[in-house]
Amino acid sequence: MRHHRTLRLLALATPLIAVLFAGLIGSVVIAIAGKNPLAVYKTMVSFSLGRFDSIALILFRSTPLLISAVAVSIGFRANLFNIGVEGQYFLGSFFAAWVGFSLRGLPAIVHLPLAIAAAMLGGMVWALVPALLRVRRGVHEVITTIMMNSVAFSMVHWLIYVFLDVQQTTVPGMGSPRMRTPMLLETVRMPTLHSLLNPLLSPLGLEIPRHVYLNYFFPVAIALAFAVNYLIRRTPLGLEVRAVGHNPEAAETQGIDPNSVRLKAFMLSAAVAGLAGLSDLLSYYGYLDIDFPKGYGFTGIAVALLGKNSPAGMILSAFLMSFLRRGAEGAQVLEGIPMDTAVILEGVMILAIVVASSVFGRYALAWQKKEARAHADQ
Amino acid sequence: MDATPVISLRSIVKTFPGVVANRDINLDITHEIHAIVGENGAGKSTLMKILSGLTRPDSGEIWLRGKRVVLTGPGHALALGIGMVHQHFMLVGRFTVAENVILGVEPSRRGVLDIATARSRVLALCRQYGMELDPDARIQDLPVGLQQRVEILKVLYRGAEVLILDEPTAVLAPREVADLFSNLRALKESGKTIVFISHKLDEVLDIAGRISVLRRGQMIGTVKAEDATREEIARMMVGRPVLFSLDKPRVTPGAALLDIKELSVEGRLGNLACDRVSLSVRSGEIYGIAGVEGNGQTELVEAVTGIRKSKSGSTSIMGTHAEGLTPAAIRQLGLAHIPEDRHKRGLVLEMSVLENFLLGKQRRSNYVLQHAINTREARSQASRAVKDFDVRVASLDVAGGSLSGGNQQKLILSRELETGPKVIIAAQPMRGLDVAASEFVRSVLLKARQDGCAILLVSADLEELMALSDRIGVMFRGRLVAEIDRDEATVERVGQYMVGTTAEVAR
Repeated sequence: MRHHRTLRLLALATPLIAVLFAGLIGSVVIAIAGKNPLAVYKTMVSFSLGRFDSIALILFRSTPLLISAVAVSIGFRANLFNIGVEGQYFLGSFFAAWVGFSLRGLPAIVHLPLAIAAAMLGGMVWALVPALLRVRRGVHEVITTIMMNSVAFSMVHWLIYVFLDVQQTTVPGMGSPRMRTPMLLETVRMPTLHSLLNPLLSPLGLEIPRHVYLNYFFPVAIALAFAVNYLIRRTPLGLEVRAVGHNPEAAETQGIDPNSVRLKAFMLSAAVAGLAGLSDLLSYYGYLDIDFPKGYGFTGIAVALLGKNSPAGMILSAFLMSFLRRGAEGAQVLEGIPMDTAVILEGVMILAIVVASSVFGRYALAWQKKEARAHADQ
Repeated sequence: MDATPVISLRSIVKTFPGVVANRDINLDITHEIHAIVGENGAGKSTLMKILSGLTRPDSGEIWLRGKRVVLTGPGHALALGIGMVHQHFMLVGRFTVAENVILGVEPSRRGVLDIATARSRVLALCRQYGMELDPDARIQDLPVGLQQRVEILKVLYRGAEVLILDEPTAVLAPREVADLFSNLRALKESGKTIVFISHKLDEVLDIAGRISVLRRGQMIGTVKAEDATREEIARMMVGRPVLFSLDKPRVTPGAALLDIKELSVEGRLGNLACDRVSLSVRSGEIYGIAGVEGNGQTELVEAVTGIRKSKSGSTSIMGTHAEGLTPAAIRQLGLAHIPEDRHKRGLVLEMSVLENFLLGKQRRSNYVLQHAINTREARSQASRAVKDFDVRVASLDVAGGSLSGGNQQKLILSRELETGPKVIIAAQPMRGLDVAASEFVRSVLLKARQDGCAILLVSADLEELMALSDRIGVMFRGRLVAEIDRDEATVERVGQYMVGTTAEVAR
């Protein structure tokens, strides 16, 4: 089976080709901006990877992207396009924050898991309407989830206002109002990895500095990517999800109810989506405010596409996206290249991966067909 | 007969990566109806694509009336007088016959479409070749046989002298086949050369002057139809003798396992696709449903298997009421379903052979171990079933879509029959399969019959149906218009019911 190895190598090569192609287009953009592309790329690399605290920061920032990508990938498996991760993690974050500041007197061992469960519930609540509209009425989830995103932003802002911490409504010493929830209790805060990793790192002369909030959600996200993959690949439900994703008629003929499978997949996707904001909320900020980070849901779509729904692929893609953003910050400060270059790189990369994957997919199938025919002839 | 052949193919070679589709093929086609037969994958279509300019050969020569030509595309081939009538019609449903015929070569006057000229030219063509067609009828209102006539007319309108027909009878009812054949004979009389591709041997023997047989990309030989027998051609196609007279032992039918009473089902457009159908299939019996496609067979099967809701009436499987149950619950009663469209309903092409085998059984306790699929058990069951049903696969992990049609169907059979069902619904199980694979499917169905299954067999192929069934029911416009014992059924009699010419209802 030498061919299988070749095929696998090619499958690995397609995202790489896409990344290289994007780099090429990026060079043109940078050249048009009047800078030397090689110098800019060099700055991006040295700025983001040159220092250990920057690497730790990249890992911290990749956490929400990975969680969001895992959520999107669950939908993809069932041929559902959950664009609503954005809104779902906003709601999830609010639910977690609510549990975090309102339930007092719980030990951390209860309080933190409760907040996490609340976040998953929040995501699911927000996906319920699009999911039901899809399975009951056939309304396409892309439309409904986009609409729900818009509603989510405004609604969460309104909810923050409702639960506004009166003591913090103005920035001390300044007149401007501050829209944020009360501080979350200590019992709900996710600990950072410093106490675990720094003793191991110090013999190497490395240290995660206090200002980088790399926390336990990072290993959780990685475990989640593998766990979801196991669920999809190895369990009966996973088989049903993939069958419905590829060919709902065939699944139905075999006695699998496509709509019930779609509903389960949608809810699972949304539950994971609800977690995407927690690394920031429970470790870094400790409160939910009007400036809570947006966009993880959309970047997650890119990460899932680039990683082709595989756990290793999505982990690497999340690192890559996070690295690009970090590098772009460096390029902006040190080379005067606008941050938007990174956005262009992302966009081109996604386009390239979509094209490359479909070309490769056709090629792989043709190859398998040829082998099958050769085998049948024997 | 003319001394120089109309078309002469010399040493045609065409390879695709890893496969030789055409191996050194020589073929002379004179002014005649020339049939080309062969199993699926024998290289018929590749050869015809080469002849109609769609594909270029790796080497070899095409000679047209004594002159060597190099075809650069289908347009070029047509300009030289070679036209292809495709199996899948390429017609615009909302356009009229005349509009479809002229599409692409519209006559115009000062840039304005001249529909009057178009109409009269189309009418003249119809008269010339004795084809009845209303130039103003809309394609969507015409039956399939007439649509095919429009396709032929399109090619004639563009000046074709050589017509290539790719499996033209696949979609036709017996009477439509007879009409097509008389049209083809008339065309031949008026000087056209016809290349006819098929794997239905009786038809080929009926219509063709000479028959060329391809096997695995090689030209096995050309025989005169009047001297040839069905068995001889089948042996040339398959490479070994093929049994036609089926070894069909007498089985005394037992109790009715599948009972359908007054079942009415709505079609996709809300029409009454299946109208008060009643039938019952007994243990050890194959009940054949004959009918031109689209007369309610699909809806009947979908309603019985639970995929589609029925409007009224009842079905029961082994005495248990089954209407209104989910497909999964109906399967639990002991029903197996071989769907009519392998790619749409039979398999998930993107998933592996193993996963396709598991589909529908993924929650059975013997396949689940601590919430996950028990891969070892699944593999051992799948490889046993795959071996039992002669599915030829390199491994259980290749995609279902990479298998040949015959192997896909065998994979479906292995999945459906491995569990020992009591009622089998088989819709078009031999469609598109080559001689060897059909032979296998037939033998599997007959074995199930002997084992006491009740089998409902839906087929558009009357010969096939007559060979297998113990009783035949004919569907026309959603109604079961006749039910005939096998011993009293003839192709002519069933064929008449199929096109609705006999108003009598047999029961």
